Amino acid sequence: MSNWRQMMPTTEAYLLDKVLYELHHKPDDLAAYNEDKAAYLARFRLTPELAEKISSNDVAGLYEAGVNPYLLRAHCIGMRIPEDVSLAALRSLMKEGDDKWLN
Amino acid sequence: MAELTGIYTASHTPVMLNFPDRIPTELRTEIFGAYEAMGRDFEAGRPDALVVLSNDHLHNFFLDNFPALCIGVGESYESPIEHWLKAKRRVFTGDQAFGAYLLQEALKADFDPAFSMEMVLDHGSLTPLELAGLDPDLPIVPILFNCVQPPMPTMRRCYQFGKFLGEAIRRYDGAERVAILATGGISHDIATPRMGMVNREFDERLLQLMEAGDSEAVVAYATNQVHTAGNGAEEIRMWMAAMGAAAGLPFKRAYYRAVSDWYTGIGIGHFGENSLATVGSIDG
Repeated sequence: MSNWRQMMPTTEAYLLDKVLYELHHKPDDLAAYNEDKAAYLARFRLTPELAEKISSNDVAGLYEAGVNPYLLRAHCIGMRIPEDVSLAALRSLMKEGDDKWLN
Repeated sequence: MAELTGIYTASHTPVMLNFPDRIPTELRTEIFGAYEAMGRDFEAGRPDALVVLSNDHLHNFFLDNFPALCIGVGESYESPIEHWLKAKRRVFTGDQAFGAYLLQEALKADFDPAFSMEMVLDHGSLTPLELAGLDPDLPIVPILFNCVQPPMPTMRRCYQFGKFLGEAIRRYDGAERVAILATGGISHDIATPRMGMVNREFDERLLQLMEAGDSEAVVAYATNQVHTAGNGAEEIRMWMAAMGAAAGLPFKRAYYRAVSDWYTGIGIGHFGENSLATVGSIDG
C-alpha cells in the first residue's frame, strides 16, 4: 500500500482537514464543538455525510475520505477516543497484502 | 568558523510521553536510557548552539499555506503546541542571528526556504530534546521539513539541503561550536491500517547503508522504499539532511528497536569520528 491515500488532497479532504485543524488549534473551538457538534460543524461547507463522519468519530470513514493522517491521529487523542478503538477501526480497513513488508 | 560538535539522528513520537505504559517498564527504561546517552554525548561536545531538523505535524502549518522547508528566525519558541501532549510547557531560546544567517545563505545557494519568526514547536522537536535532557537554555535554530502532507520535497533535495547546511554552519562566525539534531522516523505508520506495524527490514537496511557510508545508495533506498515503511518513515528526510551535513563523516547507530506498541522503529545514531557507544540492538 502507499503511505498516503491521496498524493494531492481533494477539496472534500481539505474541508475535513480544516475542521480537525481548527478544532484543536483555535482556543474556543473544542468547547464549542463539545457543546453542540451540529452547530459547530455547520460553520463549514461540509455535506451531511462528511459532518456525520466527524460527529460520530468515524475513524475509518475519515481515513477513507482522505483526511491527513496526522490530523486524524491528533483528533483521536484530542477527543480521547480510546487507543484500541481507533486502532481497531483503522485495522478493519487492512487489505490482503497491505502488511506484506511488516511485522 | 564554527565546529560541528556532533550530528545526531533520533526518532520521535508523542506516544513516548502520552502512553509510556503501553510497553514494559524494562523496555521503556532501555529506550529512555538510549536518549539520555545521546544527551550525555551531545553535552560532552559543549555546543553553544543547536540546529534542530524536524517536521511540523500540521500545527504551525496547514494546507492553506504549507512550506516544503521553513527556517526559524524567532527570538524564542514555546513548546509544545499540542494541547493533548503530556509534556511540561517550556520556552526554548532562539538563536535569531544564526537563523537569519542560515536563511540568507540558503537563498544565496539557490534554496528557497520559507521562514518564520514565530513558531510553537511540537512533539517532533520537543520529545528528543526532553528525553535527552538537553539544556533548555541552549539557543536553537529549528528547521522544519514537510514530511507529513504530500506533495513533499524529495529525499535527494533534503540531502542536498543538508550538504548546504553543513557547509554554511562551518563557515559561520557567530558561534564556535554547533550541534545538529535530526529527528523523526524510522518505520512507522500514523493513523493508517498499518499503524502498530513496523518494517524492521527497512530500518535495518537503511541503517546498514548509512553505516556503509554510501550516500547515493541511502538516498536511492529512501526514495524507492519509503512506501514500505509507513507514512511516519517519510520523516527520514531529516536523516537525509543530517547525512548531507555530515559530508562523509561516518555514521554509527547507537540504538535501534522496533517497538510496535509505541508504533515506531526507534533509532538513534550519530555522524562523527567519536561515535556514540551502541546501547541497543536490532533484535527488538
